[in-house]
Amino acid sequence: MENVLEVKGLTKQYTKVLAADKVSFEIGKGEVFALIGPNGAGKTTTIRMISTLLTPTAGDASVMGHSIVSEPDKVRECITYLPDEAGAYKNMKGIKYLQFMAGLFCTDLEEIGKCVDRAKEICQLGERLNDKIGSYSRGMIRKLLLARSVMTRPKLAILDEPTSGLDVINAIEIRKTIKRLAHEEGMSFLLSSHNMLEIEFVSDRVGIITKGHLMVTGAADELKQRYNAANLEEVFERVVKQNEVH
Amino acid sequence: MKFINLLKKELAELVNKNMLLGLVVTVAIFMILGGIMKTTINDVVDESKNVTINICDRDKTEFTESILEAMENVNKDPDSNVSAKINIIECEGDDYAAILADNDISSLVIIPVGFTDSLDKKEQPELISVSRMTSAATMSNIDVGNEGAINLIKQCISSTIAADTGMDDQQYQLMEEPVILTENTVVDDKDARISQDSIMSKIMMQNMLLPIIVFVLIMMTSQMLMSAISNEKIDKTLETLLSAPVSRLSVIGAKMLAAAVVALLNAAVYMVAFSTFVSGATDEVTQSVSEAAGVSITVDQALEQLGLNLGAVDYILIGVQLFFTIMICLSVSIILGALIDDAKNVQSMLMPIMLCAMVPYIISMLADINSLPMIFRVIVYAIPFTHTFTAVPNLMFGNNMLFLGGLIYQIIVFLICIFFALRLFMSDKLLTVSLNIGQKSKYKKRNKKNNVPEEE
Repeated sequence: MENVLEVKGLTKQYTKVLAADKVSFEIGKGEVFALIGPNGAGKTTTIRMISTLLTPTAGDASVMGHSIVSEPDKVRECITYLPDEAGAYKNMKGIKYLQFMAGLFCTDLEEIGKCVDRAKEICQLGERLNDKIGSYSRGMIRKLLLARSVMTRPKLAILDEPTSGLDVINAIEIRKTIKRLAHEEGMSFLLSSHNMLEIEFVSDRVGIITKGHLMVTGAADELKQRYNAANLEEVFERVVKQNEVH
Repeated sequence: MKFINLLKKELAELVNKNMLLGLVVTVAIFMILGGIMKTTINDVVDESKNVTINICDRDKTEFTESILEAMENVNKDPDSNVSAKINIIECEGDDYAAILADNDISSLVIIPVGFTDSLDKKEQPELISVSRMTSAATMSNIDVGNEGAINLIKQCISSTIAADTGMDDQQYQLMEEPVILTENTVVDDKDARISQDSIMSKIMMQNMLLPIIVFVLIMMTSQMLMSAISNEKIDKTLETLLSAPVSRLSVIGAKMLAAAVVALLNAAVYMVAFSTFVSGATDEVTQSVSEAAGVSITVDQALEQLGLNLGAVDYILIGVQLFFTIMICLSVSIILGALIDDAKNVQSMLMPIMLCAMVPYIISMLADINSLPMIFRVIVYAIPFTHTFTAVPNLMFGNNMLFLGGLIYQIIVFLICIFFALRLFMSDKLLTVSLNIGQKSKYKKRNKKNNVPEEE
């Protein structure tokens, strides 16, 4: 399978703490890869490095062959990033926000229009798009932001906790959208989540990260078999505890 | 195209209904205040032209009657420019409030019993002045009537004493005005036949506007840019923006340009509003003062003669200095805004900039910085904004080296600030470092809870 993302020995050393230590994995075209790990394991640091927001101390990652270290501009053309607990401009109307964000990816007005139409279809906010974002519920904002993340058909969409704080119905809708976009349109996803059920449902492969180390990667079923676990939650628990023993 | 998109978004964020409403209200308030001042001053000027002197003669001697007669004669004198209506009233007792109320007047001069006797005994006679105070406002308590009456009575006494001592009218006039003062002001090698006070009041009126505009500009640009950056951090929209295919330089450039444009718009509106207020408040006074002073040349002519008026080059230089002042504000604001991750801290972080603007603003209004003791002079000149406040006086009085030195200093400060600002904005620190005054950082709190490094 053609790799959209290749991460090789990605390391981030803060003043006192090693937040990511030689993290390596890859994501194929149309694949949904989920990074799971306890709080402070290094998921967000890894994701921020791949999103070109942070500079790695060592190692590199390439998106569609472009290095995050030497070609961050090219990388940003291929990705979109949805941060955990991200907000949007409260004084802007939903539709204006989509137009503004599309304008950062495309320069052609027709292309911008197409992106916005697609986002409208995905977010299903209808007439509420003409209201200011400040009046939206948390679920509506998350739907708007998810639609924004995929409207430009990026090669790789990086979603940090895509369903955090959402009710069950909204979360299911978002998961279905992710799966559909990956399998029908060939869009690749890098997710991070605490919700093991969500991960098991939506992802093709999983990477368990703890204390900056990527301990294991593989398909959910494969990992369950390897760790003799009933579900991904048990796999996660065993991997984390194993790391604590070492 | 992408930069225009960013700039449009930044301008839309800054120029909203509240901001426009604020501007309209500001202009309206200044215009109304100017109108009120103009009306009040006109009233006072009119009142001073039609003075009513209320006088009560309790002594009723030949001398006091001659004073009243002299007062009435002043009105009949065609050479006199004073027009006072003499209102003689009868009153008794010392309940002055009741006397004013009964006679429906606001001021009164009483010549008490024994006034002439005291004069005859070569003692200082007592004269009673009563005036009603209706408010603490300066303008509403100006009472020309009593002052005029007292001056006339003093004149009558002086002329009587002069006549008693055998002095003729000419000698008496000489005693009253022993010299004719011709005032000359010298600036460098130029001089003009005008008093220093007239020049100073004109310069003060002219220079009143610029420091206010500079102050508004400094505060507005700083607050807008700091809020623009910190809000993006607080709402977590900055990460989204920086992961989009636009350079960080475009993001910060759009923010700086939008803040500068909106600040300039604000400054222009303030300038128009304030000049309306000032012209309303000072036009009448200036005219009256000039008429009263009877100066042979106008103040504008004197300023030109003394080389104190500013030329086109001077205005361009002031513009350049204003530009660098704004650029310093913007670069410092980038640094401070990037370190904030809590909306409450914007005001606290604005404090150092406000102090740096306020200290030279106040000092430049009250004193000549060059006349301060060396240590204070060094401290005040070390504040880059000082040079903007002193730009006009420096150019006016030909202190070109001081002006250029200030401009060069500002350029150096700007280059240092923008270097650190861009370095911070381009680095990881933009997302990992926060500076919260008086409280633990949200990042630190969260990271402590999650047992992750401070920087993450």
